[in-house]
Amino acid sequence: MTHVLEPELAVRLAGLTLRAKRTVDGLLAGMHRSPHRGASTTFKEHRAYRPGDDPRLIDWRAFARSDRYTIKHFEHETQLRGTLALDISLSMHWGSGDVSKVDHAATLLAALAYVLTRQGDAVSLITFDDVIRDRLPARSGPAHLDYLMRTLAGPSESKGVTALHASLDKLIEHAGRMGLVVIASDLLDLADDALDPVARIQARGHQTIVLHVMDPAELELPYEQPMHFEGLEGEAPLEVDPKGLRRRYQEAVDAFVASCQRRVVAAGGRYLLARTDTPPEHTLLQVLRDG
Amino acid sequence: MGFGLPWALVGLVAVAIPVIAHLLRRQKLPKQTLPTIAFLHRIHATRAARLRVVDMLLLMTRALLVVALVLVAAAPYRIVQSSLLDRQHALAIVFDDSLSMSAMDEGKTLIERAAALSTQQLRKLPEGSEVSVVLSGRPSRVWVRRRSELEMVETVFSELDPRSTRGDALCDAVQSAVELLLESELPDRRLLVVSDFTPGTRSEECEWPTRGIRVGFEAVSITDPDNRRIASVEVIGERESVEGLQLDVQIAGTKTRVRQSVRLRQRGQDTEETPVRWGDQGGEAELSVPAGSTDAVVELQLDPDDVLPADNVRGVLLGSDTIHVLLVDGDPHPDPRKRETAFLSHALGVAPRVGRSFAVETLDAQDLSESAIIRSDVVVLANARIDEKWLPLIQRFVRGGGSLWITAGDRINPRAYGSLLRELLPGRYTATRMEERPVSLQSKTLPELDQAKAFARTPIAEASLNAVVTASFSDGAPALVEHRYRSGRVAMFATTVDDAWTDLPYQPVFVPFVLDTLSRLAGRTDHSAEPYEPVSLPGSTASQRIQVVTPSGRTVDLAEADRVAFRDTGEIGAYRVLINGVNGARFAFVVDAPLAESELVSKGLPQEPGDPEAAVSDASHGVEQQLAPWLLLVAVALLFAELWLRQVRRR
Repeated sequence: MTHVLEPELAVRLAGLTLRAKRTVDGLLAGMHRSPHRGASTTFKEHRAYRPGDDPRLIDWRAFARSDRYTIKHFEHETQLRGTLALDISLSMHWGSGDVSKVDHAATLLAALAYVLTRQGDAVSLITFDDVIRDRLPARSGPAHLDYLMRTLAGPSESKGVTALHASLDKLIEHAGRMGLVVIASDLLDLADDALDPVARIQARGHQTIVLHVMDPAELELPYEQPMHFEGLEGEAPLEVDPKGLRRRYQEAVDAFVASCQRRVVAAGGRYLLARTDTPPEHTLLQVLRDG
Repeated sequence: MGFGLPWALVGLVAVAIPVIAHLLRRQKLPKQTLPTIAFLHRIHATRAARLRVVDMLLLMTRALLVVALVLVAAAPYRIVQSSLLDRQHALAIVFDDSLSMSAMDEGKTLIERAAALSTQQLRKLPEGSEVSVVLSGRPSRVWVRRRSELEMVETVFSELDPRSTRGDALCDAVQSAVELLLESELPDRRLLVVSDFTPGTRSEECEWPTRGIRVGFEAVSITDPDNRRIASVEVIGERESVEGLQLDVQIAGTKTRVRQSVRLRQRGQDTEETPVRWGDQGGEAELSVPAGSTDAVVELQLDPDDVLPADNVRGVLLGSDTIHVLLVDGDPHPDPRKRETAFLSHALGVAPRVGRSFAVETLDAQDLSESAIIRSDVVVLANARIDEKWLPLIQRFVRGGGSLWITAGDRINPRAYGSLLRELLPGRYTATRMEERPVSLQSKTLPELDQAKAFARTPIAEASLNAVVTASFSDGAPALVEHRYRSGRVAMFATTVDDAWTDLPYQPVFVPFVLDTLSRLAGRTDHSAEPYEPVSLPGSTASQRIQVVTPSGRTVDLAEADRVAFRDTGEIGAYRVLINGVNGARFAFVVDAPLAESELVSKGLPQEPGDPEAAVSDASHGVEQQLAPWLLLVAVALLFAELWLRQVRRR
């Protein structure tokens, strides 16, 4: 992982703006909506008064003109705290082509960090496998971005397997409250409760985006001749003819991907499949556009 | 089960190929890391047990496929033990009608019993079957050639002569039968041999069919194989002696309770009878032929009280070693002792004392006759002027196997010899010349001949291509030249056999020279034959009527020809030849019972070398059924199974 963020990609992403779907409770005012209405100078809208509304918010001038009780809405703009989580387990260091999954994931996270920093948001980073390996606090500014980029380019050496449940629980502690959490992982922790922490992240007011990084060869098993398959995280080797297994394998992987998506969405998070053969900007655009 | 090409079974080692390929393939599997291997494990765990079974089946299928293909290449066959009677087939019966099959058993000959057995086999055949019958008595004969009218074939067996004198030619008959079967379009072919399988059949020497023809054997044998026969006859003495000839007869077989005797038959009449004396080694008897008998052959008859009467008769050739020489004196000398014929007669008179017998007849040239010539083995034209009227006579004589010796002298006319007998002669006489200095004679076989000197000679030139110079002069010129002409021999001598031109008659070497020359020229044919073997005899001419009297007294006129092959030799015993009604000693012959046919103990059914299954003696004996087509079907099925299993494995 020597070149995390291509300059060309950085330029193309420069005009994009990330808006958090949910308002965040930031210490710094920024471009993100605040749940604390009325205390801001940015007018948002008028709407009819409904029983239960604070009578202090009634726009009396509007009442004088229209003889109707109208509420005047303002928005607070707060600073977003983004937490980026990169899976650096052994399985992530594999790729059927020139790019490994961890390279691809790091590129995506770097792009997000760049975008967030550019709009003045604070970004933190953790890398994990079965434990948290790297931990960068949430900061903004070019110096922090550079530090973050270097960490993404050369994370700590991993010797562990993917342990999502434990790692994401640690992430909750790191992420604080009401922020954006982006997890880039192949999610190859097949335990039933592996993605349970996503719900807890959501519960703490975060917007969670899970980038499921998969190599096309993992999805399609394109091998034509019998092979001696070996795992990367201590699995027993296996000699099989992939042609005979392909259909059922694809079904199993599809079911796994669907399961991951279902669990993330059920927990309130967003799920995106990030194939390593898909240009990273496509994935990033999808993240930002729907954000 | 057998294999047409057993060496192809070496290919069975190829069974190891699928196994080795499987092992090598496992060893050489490429390695591939895969993070999602856990999914493969999950799927494979459910398929593993099934895959193990499929893999095992696949391996077995491939190995069996190789085995099937190798077996197809080895052309396997099996012997089908199904009944003969359910399908049309071609049947060739080799029927033994040799002498041993004439043995009597319970009032019938074995030929009659074999015929009944064969008829039973015929009656079992389904309609549409094809039958051939080959008789194996020597010479073997195709009696019925591929006929489907089974009733007609049955009648053939009923018409067979129940007695035979033939030798055995089983192997020839088997070969003929196989050829007939191979001509048939019916797929089921069967060879049935009906025989007594005595040693005379020599069945072990036969080339039995190994593929495509089912071989069966039906044995007939007698319950009591006790048989006696005249084993040998030795002729002792000289027919010209006062005592006559004595015949010492040896009888083979066991002694009987009934007194047995041997009878001597001359010209169809019993002339003497003597009892058989039995000893440990068989019986013996002595009979005598009276002095003065001119019979060339006599017959001995053992009392026919055994199971095989046919071999109790034996013809005896009297004086069969006697060479009949006709000396033709072309220049009768006033002094009889000085004649060429006198010198020759004197030399021939010594012959009996050295082991040969010559019957000499002397004629002056003007008395030469056809009858005299035809009675002789060798005619010596001693200084005889050739006459044109002799020409056809001499030619026929030599063509018919007679021999001619021409000796030179002042009476011979070289030009006439050269023109009239040129074709017959081994060379050409040239002009006679007197030698200024005597020349000696030379011979490799008779070194003593160099003691003889010649003072005059009629040189021989232009020797024929097949001429042999058996004696020469010291100057290298040929002295005695011989060659074969048709069935006879002709010799030319360049000087005289009297003392006119040479001192040879006075030399001790003269006797062996004459005897050797005449013996060599006589070179007579065998006068003993087997039943039905052709005997070469001179044919009748306008002036000579040649007849053969068979042992049973039947007289057969020979056709007009230089020479005929007399084939009516089916009777065992002595055959006399009459020339114008007179016994001609030179051509008498005997027909002997084939020796091996007297042995009546069966030696068992033949065993085909290398394939004992093919020699079962039962009528239900199997036929070879080719298994290659079935194995090919199996191979195709295995191939489809292999393809299917591969598909199953991939699912």
